[in-house]
Amino acid sequence: MSVIDLITRVDSICRKFDKYDVDKQAELNVSGDDAFARLYAVVEAELDSTIEKAESVASAKNRAAVVAINAEIRRTKARLLDEIPKLQRLAMKKVRGLSREELEARSDLVSALKDRIASVPDGTTTAAQPSSNGGASASTGIKFNSNYDGSFDSDYFQNTEETDRFRQEYEMRKMKQSAQDEGLDVIAEGLDTLKDMAHDMNEELERQVPLVDEIDEKVDKASSDLRNTNVRLKDTVNQLRSSRNFCIDIILLCLVLGIAAYLYNVLK
Amino acid sequence: MSSDPDKLVAKADKLTKLTLTRWSADWRNATLNYEQAANAYRVAKKYEKAKDAFEKASKGQEMLTSPWDAAKHMESAAALAKELGNWNDVADLYRRASELYVECGRAQPASDALGKAARAVEDHLPDVAVQLYTDACSLLEEDDKDQMAFDLYRALTAVHIKLEKYTDAAAALLRLGLAADKCNASNSQFKAYLSAIIVYLYANDVKAAEKCYNDCSQIPAFLGSDQGRCGSRLISAYSEGNVEEIKRVAQSSTITHLDHAVSSFTLLFLPRLLAECSFLPSADKCTIASPHSDGLV
Repeated sequence: MSVIDLITRVDSICRKFDKYDVDKQAELNVSGDDAFARLYAVVEAELDSTIEKAESVASAKNRAAVVAINAEIRRTKARLLDEIPKLQRLAMKKVRGLSREELEARSDLVSALKDRIASVPDGTTTAAQPSSNGGASASTGIKFNSNYDGSFDSDYFQNTEETDRFRQEYEMRKMKQSAQDEGLDVIAEGLDTLKDMAHDMNEELERQVPLVDEIDEKVDKASSDLRNTNVRLKDTVNQLRSSRNFCIDIILLCLVLGIAAYLYNVLK
Repeated sequence: MSSDPDKLVAKADKLTKLTLTRWSADWRNATLNYEQAANAYRVAKKYEKAKDAFEKASKGQEMLTSPWDAAKHMESAAALAKELGNWNDVADLYRRASELYVECGRAQPASDALGKAARAVEDHLPDVAVQLYTDACSLLEEDDKDQMAFDLYRALTAVHIKLEKYTDAAAALLRLGLAADKCNASNSQFKAYLSAIIVYLYANDVKAAEKCYNDCSQIPAFLGSDQGRCGSRLISAYSEGNVEEIKRVAQSSTITHLDHAVSSFTLLFLPRLLAECSFLPSADKCTIASPHSDGLV
């Protein structure tokens, strides 16, 4: 069977069983007069694609890509959340051919959709943590006392004694902690300076390494040259002072003296 | 041999001039005479004559095919020109010296000579100084001695900042970053990137600063480093118009460890700029016409 035949056969089979295709039916339904259903389908489709993107973030290796995808997810979420009120208004409208229960179900659907949109992970919660690691001054993390005070006062009146004691201890600890915090801040500053200096020293040393290597080579060459020269000089000096030449010099000197004495005697 | 420098110079000149009786110049003796004369002039503080004598001695050494000594004499001549205040001469003489060093095949002293020249003229001829620094850096980079170039780049940045050419300063800092990257000097590299971001912010160019930050964040180590975090905090504080946050970031140790020229910006000028900025209706598009009209570096 050729490819063309396969294609035509597949097409005819698809056409025959189209009525069982749920997604396609939903699409056909939607293209009717029902504005709510249309908008709902559009929003749901976008939400699905956003969730897919959020999942792809987990597998993305490139940090820049992660950031970009998160930004896009955030934008889409904001846009979808804007559409929700419109959807709610449409849900209230009566459409012919729809029962009352379905109308109520629609508003439930809308609120469920809103929750789903809000719950899409977009990286905002995780992004805050690495930035607040430095300096205790940007204290975004340690703020749990504001709600607590409120709930204590309103609900638990019978245990005031205990809560007073707890409250006192808490205040004391907080004061001590602030002193500790200042101390730790000073230490952190000092450590930062140390770290910077250490890094600079490291780089300086790395800079010096090739220079020292060069010096090392040159000194080695110079010392080996010197050694060669010394050896040659020693040979030359030895040759000059060799004993044979010395004896010859003495004998010749004696000869000359002898000849001079002889001449002196003859001439006297 | 008389020790009177004038006589020495006259004698040396005679030795080098070709006449009917002399068919080839005696450069060896002439150079000797010139050197002695130059030293004598220098001791007597006659800088003009000493400079001339050094130049002639250098030429003599060149004739004797010893470029190293020639370069050394040129440098002495240039130092004397500095005393005299002939800035153009200084630049020319140092350039000549650097060329001679390159002839010897020694890039390091060549770039040192250009660096000295740039330092000497940066107050009076800043554009010439910029050119000299750039040439010095390229000499070193060709010879793969990038680490020596760091100081030169920093000096170049300082000159640009003084001339208020902030894009050039930032470009110089980015080149520093590149050189540091080649030598794996990550601390210097990140400090250079942070300084570049600060310079862009000082020029009120938030977009460029953000672009710079994004470019530098391609290097994952920068993103997670102190300098990277500091940069992101600074940019976000600046675009929100948050003066307190900027002051706090500027006083953090990361910024104070940067080059003096750049860190003094952040401390003094950014908060003030931002204060001027926040009076405008749109605080995130700070386009002030003349932010540097009051109080200057």
